[in-house]
Amino acid sequence: MANLKEIKRKIKSVENTKKTTRAMKLVSTAKLRRAEMAARKSKVYAQKINEVLSDIAQKINQYKIGGIDSRYFDLKDTIDKVDIVFVTADKGLCGGFNIQTIKQVQILMQEYKDKKIKVRLRAVGRKGVDFFRFQGVELLSSNIGVSSSPDYEKAQEIINKAIVDFENGVTDKVILIHNGYKNMISQELKVVDMVPIEEPKSTQNESLSLMELEPAEDETILNSLMKKYFEYNMYYALIDSLAAEHSARMQAMENATNNASDRVHKLTLAYNKARQESITTELIEIISGVESMK
Amino acid sequence: METLKLEIVTPDGQIYCNDVKTVTLPGSEGEFGVLPRHASLVSLLKAGIIDIELTNGEHELVAVDWGHAEVDEAKVTVLADGAVAIVGENESAIADAIEKAKKLIESISDSDVAIAMAEAKIDFIVKQRKY
Repeated sequence: MANLKEIKRKIKSVENTKKTTRAMKLVSTAKLRRAEMAARKSKVYAQKINEVLSDIAQKINQYKIGGIDSRYFDLKDTIDKVDIVFVTADKGLCGGFNIQTIKQVQILMQEYKDKKIKVRLRAVGRKGVDFFRFQGVELLSSNIGVSSSPDYEKAQEIINKAIVDFENGVTDKVILIHNGYKNMISQELKVVDMVPIEEPKSTQNESLSLMELEPAEDETILNSLMKKYFEYNMYYALIDSLAAEHSARMQAMENATNNASDRVHKLTLAYNKARQESITTELIEIISGVESMK
Repeated sequence: METLKLEIVTPDGQIYCNDVKTVTLPGSEGEFGVLPRHASLVSLLKAGIIDIELTNGEHELVAVDWGHAEVDEAKVTVLADGAVAIVGENESAIADAIEKAKKLIESISDSDVAIAMAEAKIDFIVKQRKY
């Protein structure tokens, strides 16, 4: 009898879990729709600004336009120090979403370590922060609470520190890593070298004319464009990551709900078997008692 | 006929994308027109009106508040913070868009002259189109 009770309790507990996971899935589905919309809207702008910047990089490197401090575009062979900015979620329960990003960061760290290049980490998102703290890896800055509600000012704040260091020559490269949204069921890890800006890979539409800048005297235009580029890329990484987080969680919770259903099914079978068994045992007891009285 | 590929994007998505004959942009150093085969140029934009001439000679207008324009031989890319395209199916839709465009420029520009210029430009083109 004790066994029966035990199984019944288990079924109930699994059913409760199932309720929770289903609710989480529904919440994620609703949030995903909004996050995806935001990500899709901003995607065009992010792509364009990257295209424009890499066009400029190509032209500047091609013609060595005088007077422009081209630290942004200078693809040096030797680098000493790299900043890695990476975005994870604040919350777990979203499958391999966070760990994928973290693994990529670790791989890159190892790679640079082998090349004797110093790596500094700037973390966004509680999960990434917790992970590296637990590992005893020093984090240059950690931002918690941004991943779940990205806004432009916060993105500015995060990336500005990295950019100031780059401008002052403290670092030679800034890499941005986040797990981005691909479609409803899959995410895509994105590793972007923010600065120095790479030239476009295709050289088909190579422009022959020299580029003019207007206003020409100072570097206001390049600076304002660069600022926009950094901030927007950071911001886009945050919203893209949020959309991906929700899609990952939706999927993870869907799987969890299905597993819970399976489990309930199996437990119910076990429960029925156990009940039948106890009935049979009782019957045998009664029958054998009657038999022995004869 | 040679055309320019014009794209206007904002953080809210793509506002305008078309092959056009010429485009006049409100550069920070003054207004400038771009024809196909224009030399490469990157310019800061101020609040104002982008005047687009289509291949059939018709004009279309887009209001922008601030941004950058990248020009090369075959294409013009405008990265703006905010933009309103003054196009619509019917008169009321266009009137709405004009209202929005005026508000956008008023919200960002502090000089009355710039606002007045932009508004005058809108009114002029709209009249020309005989709506």
